Amino acid sequence: MSAWVVTSDGPWGDALARRLAAADQQVTLICAKVTRKKRPKGITASTDLSGALANAERVVLAEDINGIDARLQEMAPHLQGNHRILTCARGLTHGDHCRPSEAVVAHTAVRQIAVLAGAATAKSVSKGDASALVIGSAFPAWANELQTVLAADALRVYTNDDAPGVELSAAFSAILGVGMGVARGLGVGASTEATALTRALAEMDRLVTGFGGRPGTAFGLAGLGVLAEATLSGAGEAMAAGSALAKGEPLDAFSDLADLSQRMAARADTQKLRAPMTQAVAALFTGRLPADQLLKMLMTRSARSE
Amino acid sequence: MTTPLFHFNRHRDDIAKEVVERVVEQLGQSADDPKRALQLTLNDAAFHEISRLEKAGSRQANRLDDWRSLARRIGTASEAELRDEVHRRTEWYVNDVIGHFDRRVYRFATNVLPVGLSALFNTTDLKHGLSAFKDLSARIRVEGELETLRSLADKGTLVVVPTHSSNLDSIVLGWSLTHAGLPPATYGAGKNLFSNKIVGYFMRNLGAYRVDRRLRHRLYKATLKTYSQVLIERGYHSLFFPGGTRGRSGEIEQKLKLGLMGSALAAFSERVRRGDTRPIYIVPVTINYPLVLEAESLIDDYLKAEGQARYIIDDDEFSRFSRVSQFAVKLMGMNTSMIIRYGQPLDVFGNRVAPDGTSRGPDGTVIDPIKYLQRDGQAVADPARDSEYTRQLGRAVADAFLRETVILPTQLMGWVLFERERQRGGPGLDLFTLLRTTSDQPHDWNELCATTERVRTRLVAMEKNDELRLDDTVRSAPIDSLVTEAVETFGMYHRKAAVRRVGGGVKVSDPKLLFFYGNRLSAWSETLREELS
Repeated sequence: MSAWVVTSDGPWGDALARRLAAADQQVTLICAKVTRKKRPKGITASTDLSGALANAERVVLAEDINGIDARLQEMAPHLQGNHRILTCARGLTHGDHCRPSEAVVAHTAVRQIAVLAGAATAKSVSKGDASALVIGSAFPAWANELQTVLAADALRVYTNDDAPGVELSAAFSAILGVGMGVARGLGVGASTEATALTRALAEMDRLVTGFGGRPGTAFGLAGLGVLAEATLSGAGEAMAAGSALAKGEPLDAFSDLADLSQRMAARADTQKLRAPMTQAVAALFTGRLPADQLLKMLMTRSARSE
Repeated sequence: MTTPLFHFNRHRDDIAKEVVERVVEQLGQSADDPKRALQLTLNDAAFHEISRLEKAGSRQANRLDDWRSLARRIGTASEAELRDEVHRRTEWYVNDVIGHFDRRVYRFATNVLPVGLSALFNTTDLKHGLSAFKDLSARIRVEGELETLRSLADKGTLVVVPTHSSNLDSIVLGWSLTHAGLPPATYGAGKNLFSNKIVGYFMRNLGAYRVDRRLRHRLYKATLKTYSQVLIERGYHSLFFPGGTRGRSGEIEQKLKLGLMGSALAAFSERVRRGDTRPIYIVPVTINYPLVLEAESLIDDYLKAEGQARYIIDDDEFSRFSRVSQFAVKLMGMNTSMIIRYGQPLDVFGNRVAPDGTSRGPDGTVIDPIKYLQRDGQAVADPARDSEYTRQLGRAVADAFLRETVILPTQLMGWVLFERERQRGGPGLDLFTLLRTTSDQPHDWNELCATTERVRTRLVAMEKNDELRLDDTVRSAPIDSLVTEAVETFGMYHRKAAVRRVGGGVKVSDPKLLFFYGNRLSAWSETLREELS
């Protein structure tokens, strides 16, 4: 049995704390306020982050992308080289546009980092639906330990040593998921959706590779897995944003996705990478491209080989 | 100041023995099949050595016969015989690699070399003796975290990792260590450099060890890496060029060779295992030349089709005394100093080290480096983890190279003029076409000054942001003086000046050289291009 700190009791924090407890691990779950809420054996709720970090070297950073900078700054004085971190956030941070693992390096002295992605959602993990996750890390011992403790009968956990590729795939699958949501919202047919999915995947592989990931990582759980989950379920933030764009509904709830698409489109432009769908999603969010012009814009580009 | 290198000879045989024993143990290590591991090692070495020696012709016929004979026996030899062969050949390589330190030569070098260098750098001052030495200090400026490093040299072991753009680097760097009051360091130098009798004599007797870059097999690499590791473990301040060879393009090295860098972490790990907690400090150094002795050869080599560039160049300007002498004389006449900058030290995990010798996290938290090697309170051996730590250290050193690079007038003007040429060529013009052709049109002086001023302003902001460093002239001289100084410097040494003044402007005459010097700024090109239009 090993000691773990899970830094937030949000959806991922709660789901992973339960998985760890089920694997006989000792978990300190950091909450804003300790309540009488009943939790499984092995999970202790606490507000004392520094105390928890002094007693555990395994850390699940469970905040979403908007919360990780502040949390890491708070944690930094209590972290040493023996600490190992698993990040659950997806996307890029607001201030410096860092991937979650880059934010860990920017704020702390921790080196052994793993990143979580994949088709499973916090909800599906909590419910015990059959699904899969991927742990991206260049540190095999840390990745293997996570794989062992998180896997369950209904949850397959894979490892991948291309951590930047996993993070980038997760970020791009959110943006391209918006594109799929727009297509669904416009009521296009299955052949159009299939075309969009295929080309989205090719674009994701190109961008992930161009930004420092390895070719092929986008075809795994963090990329295709997330995109397929969004498309097949029709649910999730990206699909909802796409639907809102297609129908001209308010976009206030999707400002993070709007920012992410702008940042990625700008980076692709700077690096001269072909990114028509990412650029289109960014243009849709800014209003430069009306949703009903999306298909025309994508379909009338110059012909090329696959 | 502790100078372990002074006592090197006393421990020389012991060091050689330890290296051989460790290499044999390491290469014969295999839980399943140690015999197979030894066979693979010897097969790999024999294959590479036979291929190399066959090309060398009759000069090394005996060694070729020896390797051929081994290749025939590998399949039938017993494990003990294979181990003996690995032992014997490692011993041979160690004796070829290992250095030597002679205090008399060191005293002679430290007393006479500055005057000699001054003589080389300024023949007209030869008769003035020590005054020439003063001139040398004015022409080669040593700056950076010198006081911190003097103090850290007593607390732990320094591993100096400089940028590399000229064969003069190891000579001027050796001088700079003495000049800055830092202890001498042992270092690996290409075997080809030892062929120069005078330079070779000094290197052989000042702790340098020979690196034969033609040998690429595992047995030789393990020997070199273990030798470097054992020296660091024993507290010998060390120096190696992590770029591996001189940068051909003029860019600041960003792709570093991790083999020797890994020896610093391995040495730290071994020290911890033995209960020795003395720290090891990585010291990034940038060597900033206003003009590079071998610029013409290096950029020519870079521009050859990929894959054909030579890893070892033995017929460049450094091999011709007249060019070295001419370069040195011209360097002394320049207004711009050459700058050797010692950056903030790092620990072997890439954390910055404070002046008191403690490792610090990004927020200033004191970090205990030993903890990186621990799991649940115990030190744990994990080669995959350590490989990734080494990659991260490589990135930290590459970042430090950018932060500590000092931009000089020739580099700024090289970048501005080459980018202006690129703009004139229009979009879509590929690099090689651009390098073959230059616009006949001179660059108008006032326009050139205005563009340079905008780029300089941006660079000053970047320096304030700790992204790079600027030479005083680049930072604050009147723009007219800055451009004039750069253009005059360009005309001082190379056979064909990169640019020359014509009428009311500047004309490009060698775009390749401009490209070479401007490449020093290539890491920031995207940002700086915003200032061009």
